[in-house]
Amino acid sequence: MEALQIILAGSLVAIACGLLGCFLILRKMAMVGDAISHAVLPGIVLAFLFTGSRDSVTMLIGAGAIGILTTFLIEFFHKKGRLQTDASIGVTFTWLFAVGVILISVFAGKVDLDQDCVLYGEIAYVPLDLWITDSGQIMGPRVLYITGTVLIILIAFISLGYKELFLTTFDPAYASAIGISTAVWHYLLMGAVSLTTVASFESVGAILVVALLIAPPATAYLLTENLKKMLLITSLLGVVISAVGYYLAAWFDGSIAGAMASVAGLLFMLAFLLSPTNGLIAKHRRKKAILKPSGV
Amino acid sequence: MIKHVDNPVLEVHDLTVSYDRKPVLWDIDLTLPAGKLIGIVGPNGAGKSTLIKSVMGLTPNSSGYVKLFDKDLKQVRDRISYVPQRESVDWDFPASALDVVLMGRYGKLGLFKRPRKADRDIALDSLQKVGMDAYAGRQISQLSGGQQQRVFLARALAQQADLYFMDEPFAGVDAATEKAIIEILREMSAKGNTVIVVHHDLQSVTQYFDWVILLNMRLVGSGPTSEVFTTELLQETYGGKLTLLSDVGDLIRRERFPNREQFDKAQKPK
Ligand SMILES: Nc1ncnc2c1ncn2[C@@H]1O[C@H](COP(=O)(O)OP(=O)(O)OP(=O)(O)O)[C@@H](O)[C@H]1O
Ligand SMILES: [Mg+2]
Repeated sequence: MEALQIILAGSLVAIACGLLGCFLILRKMAMVGDAISHAVLPGIVLAFLFTGSRDSVTMLIGAGAIGILTTFLIEFFHKKGRLQTDASIGVTFTWLFAVGVILISVFAGKVDLDQDCVLYGEIAYVPLDLWITDSGQIMGPRVLYITGTVLIILIAFISLGYKELFLTTFDPAYASAIGISTAVWHYLLMGAVSLTTVASFESVGAILVVALLIAPPATAYLLTENLKKMLLITSLLGVVISAVGYYLAAWFDGSIAGAMASVAGLLFMLAFLLSPTNGLIAKHRRKKAILKPSGV
Repeated sequence: MIKHVDNPVLEVHDLTVSYDRKPVLWDIDLTLPAGKLIGIVGPNGAGKSTLIKSVMGLTPNSSGYVKLFDKDLKQVRDRISYVPQRESVDWDFPASALDVVLMGRYGKLGLFKRPRKADRDIALDSLQKVGMDAYAGRQISQLSGGQQQRVFLARALAQQADLYFMDEPFAGVDAATEKAIIEILREMSAKGNTVIVVHHDLQSVTQYFDWVILLNMRLVGSGPTSEVFTTELLQETYGGKLTLLSDVGDLIRRERFPNREQFDKAQKPK
């Protein structure tokens, strides 16, 4: 039962992150998730300072707001400062993270808080953190509800806005020319990234989120040449990573998040070597076939 | 030499566009007739792409106004199509040729609606028109440059617009494909559509276009090809890159007085 709950939580997060990651890597913004994971620190501190509460909804709102601010700033420096996207991401999140660190040190006396308690949620504790209603009924692990809701919202968003996301990612100028606002879809996507990453940090920890945001989509990218299939393969990979990662961790009694992230990396390596179209081995074979025509 | 027309499809009034406060288009004032094949000619950096982009509302900092079919862009967007320069997108994208052509239908579909069978038929038909129907399912990174250009053209055709802007549709395209494309554009203009094309090859301007716009930051000329495509105006546009211009001068003379002696002279190596 516990195993199943952890694998389910891992899968829900992996699918949500992977779906978004597909669009992020195609927009060459893969590091946005990493940026948000650091940049939300001041949001968490401020949320705590203003409300004095450490419950997760307050934290999520604080972190989510800063997450969206992060994506605004990244876009702002990129557009107005004519900075490369990666440089703009780098400047933004280090700066916001620094602000968070300063806030913590200034209010060190009052704040019983560091990024550990929010950023490094631990997937192993999923079965212990139960949602108990006011009437005392036990509803099951809280994390499953949160990540489940996030995933449903995401799937609705991507299936309703699929063609707009597809077009604004591939050819923004043409999208604007036919009247589809690239800015609106950019911020909708970034809002979704903020929501998903922040909710997932709290559930399974930041490292796993950053890994799941990039590795499965990158793997799927090597395996297919069709965006819909890429989204599908990413989701399947998410489930595989979660299940294999869990049992791997159980087997050598290690960190579950670490094992899952490692499996994600291993699958990427496998695809890199073995992919029928883009894999190293396939490329090598093709080269040999050209050098040595058949029949000789 | 700037000729104005009545009932223009496109009216550009006092348009100035700047990037970072540096103007790249200065006080452009022009009107274009309907149903013509129109070439925009000028050196690199002249602002040709910028002119098209600002007509399509893609450049933020501009003054003056643009009217299309005597209306604002927003009201007539679905009657206008745009083919960006091919290098403006990353072709290493998980999409097939048909996927890209289907994008031409998105504007008509509106929010949240998916392409239907009818849209796919139009898209396939457009691919066939540009001779790419055999490549419908091919991933776009596996197409050659010229084939990618044709996919872009098919996407514009799928839009079934009345006015087309094309930014260098002949860049990196072989002679046969260029002929095929120009045939398609001719047919379109014969049907009453207006096609506006950024073009670099001065040699073929007189053959291809009914109307020419000469641009170099400001508008040097706009009018019927025979009146505007002259040595003096080209000189003004290109700022006296003489070797090139004397060739074109030869070319113009040859077009106008097609006699044997002139032809031989133009062909002789210098
Ligand atoms: N995004 C931009 N930011 C700043 N300057 C720009 C931008 N795009 C174009 N420019 C400048 O505007 C001028 C006109 O550029 P434009 O792309 O319109 O030229 P073009 O006539 O299309 O040239 P080409 O023949 O090379 O395509 C150039 O000097 C260019 O440097
Ligand atoms: Mg250009």
